Parts: sequence; C-alpha cells; structure tokens
Amino acid sequence: MLSHATTREWLIPYADGMLASDERGRLDAHIGGCASCAAELREVRELNLLLVTLPPAPPVAFAPFWLKLQATLPQRRALRVPTFASYRRLGLAFAMAAILALAAASAAFAAPSALPDNPLYPVKQLEESVRLAVTPSPDRLPLQIELANERLREAQAMAVDHKPLLAATSLRALGVIVNDASAALKHPTDPRVASKDLHQLRDGLAAVERTNASRNDDDADLKQVLVADLDEIDRIEQPEVGSTAPTLIVGTQATPKPTPQPTPRPTPRPEPSDDEHHH
Amino acid sequence: MAQPEVPSPEGDAEERRLIDRSAAGDQEAFRQLVLRHHRLVINVAFRALGELSLAEDVAQDVFIKVHKALPSYRHDKPFKHWLHRVAANAVTDALRRRRPVVSLDAMEQPPASGVSDPQDVAARHDLQRAVRHAIANLPPHYRDTIALQAFGELSYDEIARALDIPLGTVMSRLNGAKRLLRERLGDLVSPWEEANTA
Repeated sequence: MLSHATTREWLIPYADGMLASDERGRLDAHIGGCASCAAELREVRELNLLLVTLPPAPPVAFAPFWLKLQATLPQRRALRVPTFASYRRLGLAFAMAAILALAAASAAFAAPSALPDNPLYPVKQLEESVRLAVTPSPDRLPLQIELANERLREAQAMAVDHKPLLAATSLRALGVIVNDASAALKHPTDPRVASKDLHQLRDGLAAVERTNASRNDDDADLKQVLVADLDEIDRIEQPEVGSTAPTLIVGTQATPKPTPQPTPRPTPRPEPSDDEHHH
Repeated sequence: MAQPEVPSPEGDAEERRLIDRSAAGDQEAFRQLVLRHHRLVINVAFRALGELSLAEDVAQDVFIKVHKALPSYRHDKPFKHWLHRVAANAVTDALRRRRPVVSLDAMEQPPASGVSDPQDVAARHDLQRAVRHAIANLPPHYRDTIALQAFGELSYDEIARALDIPLGTVMSRLNGAKRLLRERLGDLVSPWEEANTA
C-alpha cells in the first residue's frame, strides 16, 4: 500500500488521469482507507472543475478582426500574383505610373542592386512586385528566374557580410518565387533552358552554403531554408507520376527502377534550445 | 482534458507552406494562417481574461508578435504549440497588468448554459476571476505551465512539447501550481461545490 506522503504527491496527476493503471489501483486502495487523502482529492477535483469550466469565447467574426490586425502589420509586398481582371490591370497601370514617377525621383538612390540591409531595399521589392504584376503569365518565367537569381545574389552578399538571418530571408523569398514558378518550370517551352536555370539555382545555393560555412556563421536556420529550397527544386525536376504511359507487363514481375540518389545536402545541426524562438 | 490532435501530413505541408510564405512577406498567406488559428487564440485569451474586447486586443497582440517572429520559426515543433506558448505568455502578461477588481463588463458576459440565477452567475464570475488572478500571481514557471492547461486546454504531453520540457517536469510543475492555487484560493473552492450540489 502507498505511503501517505506519496499518495498526496500523486493526487494531482491522478485527478488529471495521468497515472498508469497499476499506480491508479494503488492510490485507490490508499484513498479508500484514508479520509484526509480522500478529502484532499475532492479539493483537487474541485479546483480542476473550476479550471475546466472557464467559459469559451463567444463566436467572433473574422473579417473585422483581420482588418484591424492588417492595419497594424508592417506592409510588405505580396508575392503571389493572382489572375487579374482587366479593370485591375487598368488600376495597376495607374499604380505603375505613380511608382515610375516615384522611382524616377529616387532612381539615383534605389538602385536595383540594393541589398536587404539597405534602407532602400523595400523600394526595390516594390518595383519587383509591380514588374511581376504587370507581366502576363506566359512571359513571367524569365522574370521569376531573374528575381530568384537576384535573391541568391543577396543571400550570397549577406552570407559574406556575416548576416545569416538576412541571407535566410532572401533564400526564403527565393523558395516562394521558385514555388510560384514551379508549374511553368515543370512544363517549360524550352526544357533545356529551364534545366539550365534550375542547375544554376542549385549551384548558387551550394555557393551560399559554402560561404556561410567559411564565415563560421554555420547558422541552422539558413541551412534549413537551403534544404527546403533544394527540396523545391528537386520536386520540380522529379518526373510526375503517371506522366509517362504505363507499361503493360505480362507474365513477369515489374522490375522497379533504381531509386534516384539524392543530391548531397548540408545537414542542419541540432538547434540549441534557446529562447530566441519561443516567445 | 483535450486530446492531442494528429494533423494530416497534407495539413502539415499546407501549414508549413503558409508559414514560409508569411515569413517571406506574403500577407495573403498570413491572413490564411490567422484565419486558421484566430479562434484558438481568442479562446485562450477569453478563458484567461473573461472579457471579449480585452481578449480580442490580446489576440491582436499575439498575431503581431507571431508575424514578427515567423522568420525565426524553425518548424522544430508544431506551429500550434508554438502559438499556444506565445498566446499563454501574452495572456498571463495581460492578466498581471490587470487590476483584480470587479469589472462591470465581465458581469455583463452572457451566463453559461444552465446557469440562470443572477446570484449563481455572480458567484461563478467571482470564482473565475479569483482563479484567473491566482494563476496570474503564481511563480513564472508554474504560471506558464498551468496557463497552457487551464486556458489553452493542452494535455500534459502537449504542454511538454510547447515548453520543451520533459513530461515529468510538467507533472511536477502542475503539482506545485495546483498546490499553491489551493492554498491561495482557500475556502473559495469548497463553497462553490456546495452551491452546486445543494
């Protein structure tokens, strides 16, 4: 039979249903003959009852909640370009004109080569966003590849400059661009060009990884984004299941194709359990 | 106690995509992320604070913090658990800042189902307020742990994952927290049971 002290120690996990059945049985046996532990268990259960009966919130409409939140968020560019109706194109044309006027005024400062640590970088992002928006879908792929390479250039420069977090942000944006372009890259008009583009991106990612490691900024976050970007490129290059005609095999076992060997990847190191990411 | 949810791989992949895109500045992706989780966060805040307008304000703060911190989120734990931790921190901060006075707004909350007597409603609100106040004044390691159980309705296992601590530590913290709560709430707990069983 359990001691009085151990029983008291186990009462709370017991009331929360966290004890194994044999432990529960031993506790039951003690409580059956101990009035003070039984009384304490009742108190524990009363407290639990109070905790679980805190009422849930009544329904809240999402739209006003989002609008209020959106107003306080820092404005960033929208990366996905939706299909535009003609009136939206017209609106964009006006917006483009306004942006061009602004850009002309600040052209001397907001160079297209601005890096993420440059205060004028948001202007560059805005310009790119507008360029993407006004480019018709069929012609968008070359621009997306150009922007993806620009993100690589930024990541490389940030890695050289011991700024792995900014490098990771650029690589994350690269992943989004590649994801957006994935359909066009899977079914390109010129497969050789697409293959060359993807190869170039893969090489660029490897170069960023090497630079980061050589600067002793072996940042786990950066590595994780690198791996995700490489995965995205892999997914694009992988032939789609069912894209080729099925082969009819009669009277013999199908021999599976050899499993493609994965490209060597930087392995993310275990992350330290700091509080940076746990708020 | 809430059972841990097992999200589907497709759901995980979609959420991961939304998180990555939000971190890269895609506001539509962030809107979808908020749409998925705003009920959860408002609920945690309302259970902790008892006032809807205050709960919505705290939920706004939570999502602003999440938006800011997303670029450093590493997918090393389920997003929901990470979000719970941010929400629990925000609501316990809000609880501590709040003076423990009887709020007319809180008294005007709709009564829980099955409780219609104004005296019962008032007694229930007093008790809930006392519990919230007692939780807010616990030592931080107890407070953070029990907030996830009481306000977030997480299981022991989910709390362990949200706080990156062993299950045994969750048990000992909840033990300590509930012992202190019982001491501090004193007689407030027993009369409530009597009132309900009478």
